Amino acid sequence: MYKGFLVDKSLLGKDIHFSESCGFCHKGNEKGSTRETAHKGLVTKPSRNLETCDKCHEDITKPFKTSLHFTTEGQRQGVSGRFSQKELKIFNEKVFEKSCKSCHASCGDCHIKAPIIGGVNTGLIKGHKFVKKDEGKTCALCHGGRVYPEFTGEYGGIADIHYQKGMVCVDCHKKEEMHGSSTAISKGRKEVTERPRCTNCHQTGQEKTEHGQTAHKTHKDRLSCYACHAGGTYRSCYDCHLGKGASAKPSFILGLNPRDKKTVTTLRVIPTVRDTFKPAGIAMESFDKLPNYWDTAPHNIRKRTERTRSCEVCHDEKKDFLTKELLLKNGSKANESLIYTPKPIKK
Amino acid sequence: MRKIKVSLFVLFICILFLPLASLARDVEPIVNTTWLEQNLNNPKVIIVDIRKVEEYKAGHIPNAVNIFYGSWAIMKGGLRNELPANDDLFDVIGSAGIGPDSIVVLVGKTDAIPDRTDITRVAWTLKYAGIPNIAILDGGYNKWMADKKPVSTDAPKPKATAFQTKPNENLFVKKDYVIKSMGKATIVDVREPDFYKGVKKLDFVAKTGRIPKAINLPTSQSYKPDGTFKDKAELMSAVSGAVGTDMTKEIITYCDTGKVCTGWSFLMTELLGYKNVKVYDGSSEEWTKDPQAPWEQ
Repeated sequence: MYKGFLVDKSLLGKDIHFSESCGFCHKGNEKGSTRETAHKGLVTKPSRNLETCDKCHEDITKPFKTSLHFTTEGQRQGVSGRFSQKELKIFNEKVFEKSCKSCHASCGDCHIKAPIIGGVNTGLIKGHKFVKKDEGKTCALCHGGRVYPEFTGEYGGIADIHYQKGMVCVDCHKKEEMHGSSTAISKGRKEVTERPRCTNCHQTGQEKTEHGQTAHKTHKDRLSCYACHAGGTYRSCYDCHLGKGASAKPSFILGLNPRDKKTVTTLRVIPTVRDTFKPAGIAMESFDKLPNYWDTAPHNIRKRTERTRSCEVCHDEKKDFLTKELLLKNGSKANESLIYTPKPIKK
Repeated sequence: MRKIKVSLFVLFICILFLPLASLARDVEPIVNTTWLEQNLNNPKVIIVDIRKVEEYKAGHIPNAVNIFYGSWAIMKGGLRNELPANDDLFDVIGSAGIGPDSIVVLVGKTDAIPDRTDITRVAWTLKYAGIPNIAILDGGYNKWMADKKPVSTDAPKPKATAFQTKPNENLFVKKDYVIKSMGKATIVDVREPDFYKGVKKLDFVAKTGRIPKAINLPTSQSYKPDGTFKDKAELMSAVSGAVGTDMTKEIITYCDTGKVCTGWSFLMTELLGYKNVKVYDGSSEEWTKDPQAPWEQ
């Protein structure tokens, strides 16, 4: 018997949520004497309807309705620039509502039961206890393809310095960011004002070494922090829906940030290819408007990397910079605009 | 018969002098849960929990600091379980508040051999960094829990130190050194017999087989089923049976990645008194990538 679905009796007196009956959230028929009759009308995931939690937590559920975790609007915004108006309508109806949106998180996915990913169900987080946070059993699952294993070093072989120092997701990504701020996000996650910034904790000008001071001063507004401090390879996904399905491999790519075209940063390949939405009847008329590489914040930050140790790695060797030869075959025409060639240092 | 008698006499003499090996230390190399409980507030003792951050946060030994395994051994140059750069390693050691006079007690999981040897790899790395007083909690956090010892979720903030040292580079040897030492040093393959015999291999190791003339001494033979170490006499018997009783002879251990072999290396040097034990860090993962490196299948 799978024990994860049983509520531990010892919990009942300890958690205020259990002062209400099971039916308060899960509905069903509490007077039913058999499993079948008791489960009639049962709601297995009550928080999918935010009104369940609304009753007591309106201060949280109200802004949460606009958060990216709930709306998954970021997924739509990430790709909609490739569509004509007509295609966008088809995408919204056939793809977004039926596929992308199935990924959305609700209260219970983070506070009661770990989300099911790829059919793997790890069950209740702590025996139906309502937990404030448990990143390893929640964030780690939905973000387990790229961010989390990079953070812990399981992907790439070196952990993020913040994890090494005992920090986990919520130490940087505060609840205000997770829960939303009542402002509907229309352009994607970069628009979220509560996102963490390196400079919230690491002000430039406070470096302990002359090398660090000079490097930060010289590269101010020209490089993102990740460009130098990403510690190693991160996962890029390729060829989604290109006949064989997506594939992933380690990458480390430096180029211009497609959002400003002037800052050099780490780029990650996104898997949308020309025929990704062909099965839905979408040809992506504007495919070439958006690149296949997007700025990314690899979660494998290190104080020292080969680029912080040696200027030559970038300025002489031009290691890991995107070049015309390295561009994806049959990729977007917008990719070329991200190529940046570092100049040799004047001696 | 006479040969057996002589061997037994040599073994007896060795065991007799074993305590001398630990006299140079302020702590035994393997401590039990009772000792650690009595020393939880000893200001010289720094308990380092090397489990994952999430596991540590769920509960740990009171006053233990968390420096998870991936801080001590990284992927480098395509090889697993390599040393971080010295300045990064010194930052890690300093961030735990460890100084040359500290008594460092290492705690980890002991579910399986890779977990158990996470602990010995960190111990060997601290030895490389010149810390003399390193101890391993026998049976790790599993034993601490089994013995119903106190658990905390408060994370102490260690007083960071600026740690600098000249590492003992001889403790980790490179492939060229091992090749030159063949026929002179005793090379010990600590993998399980099927791996030593060439029946099995891990995916990332290019070929089945072993370094020619290597002796097989599986790391699993050093542990009891509950993850605690076997008694000293049993360990000595296993080691002396494999590599002999010459405490000064050079011994080089290897495994697949340079982690599991730190188990016997730590026990040989810190508990049993062998003076000249080295770890081949690249191990089979590196060795089998080189077609010129001698290898027998």
